[in-house]
Amino acid sequence: MGNVERCDKTLPVNEMIYYVRRDAALRERWNRDLEGLAREFGLSREEYEAVRDKDVRRMHEIGVHQYYVPQILRLFYGASANTNSHPALEAYKRAYPEETAAAERLPARPARERG
Amino acid sequence: MARVVAAMALTHSPGLTGWFDRAPEDQRREARRALDEMRDRLQAARPDVIVLFSNDHLLNWPINNTPEYTVGIGAEHVGPADWYDEWLALDKYRIPGHPGIARYLVNEGARRRLAFAYLRDMQFDDGVSVPMHYLNPEGAIPLVPVTMNCTVPPIPTPERAYQVGTTLRDMLRAYPGTERVAVIATGGLSHEPGGPRYFWVDEEFDRWFLDLLKQGDHAALLRECTLERMEAAGSGGTAELLAWVLVLAFTRGPAEVLAYMPAVAWRSGTGMVVWPELQS
Repeated sequence: MGNVERCDKTLPVNEMIYYVRRDAALRERWNRDLEGLAREFGLSREEYEAVRDKDVRRMHEIGVHQYYVPQILRLFYGASANTNSHPALEAYKRAYPEETAAAERLPARPARERG
Repeated sequence: MARVVAAMALTHSPGLTGWFDRAPEDQRREARRALDEMRDRLQAARPDVIVLFSNDHLLNWPINNTPEYTVGIGAEHVGPADWYDEWLALDKYRIPGHPGIARYLVNEGARRRLAFAYLRDMQFDDGVSVPMHYLNPEGAIPLVPVTMNCTVPPIPTPERAYQVGTTLRDMLRAYPGTERVAVIATGGLSHEPGGPRYFWVDEEFDRWFLDLLKQGDHAALLRECTLERMEAAGSGGTAELLAWVLVLAFTRGPAEVLAYMPAVAWRSGTGMVVWPELQS
């Protein structure tokens, strides 16, 4: 099975992001007091540092659900115009240069389908 | 007895509203044309209600409790959720619900040993917001949203999704009302949101999957398109096609593929499909 099977469902950071995304006060606090927030939700030092450092590969390795990783980056960088050149996506390009290069080689051709 | 009058499926990627203009012009044109045609066909079917199947992007439930299915039973639905409106570049919208059918699905599902969680105030991410922006822009058609877990292990299998679709089809037939129902699946095609292949689109898989739909042989699709095959084409994202497999159970015969775009700019294989023939 794929990468998503490697997530640690019991990791405190995976619980924390659910609540932060739904609460404007917690989202505001994210950029002001991330360490305090991490402490309250019971994150380990390793989890906190991976998040603080915006370390995509490390977050994957410790079991952050992969859908949450770009959401975490959006908490730092903002959500609007989330194109492939957005800072959140640039973090992915740095973390996974080979996968990114392979995707950039894909032809951007259209395909009209009927029937 | 409710009557299913339309069955459709489409991609719901946030790029379709949030950064639509970043795709090549021909892909934008194809997407607009296919979405316009879907909306026209939906309106022509004169549905009283849309029952929409999408996946919850870990918005409505925390990771320690992710139901397989959840029904939004509210009398009115408001979206996008605050966390999503800026990302999707969408204003808030309001769509009437249909508590009669929604609550029936929860209770009748239980009687048929199918566990539907429910929410009176469901929050909406791209899975509902993007399709409704294009297909139901005025919010004129009442909505019953049904979210699925397609991304938190254990991810259900395509066989299971089809089985649930078959049960839902029987349940709607038994509904004590005469509503005309459109069933719409949203999600897919290949993509890996947040994974190492975040920018990847598996065009070969997408075309193979759409060809299976065009062949219209449900048993062959279920035999060949395993969860493992979906995961190989984009972990944690391509399995959103489970919603398409669920809606497949309401149909018969070949699907009509209105458009397909390997849209790297939107970070998702992007497709729009209509089934002309429905199970009676």
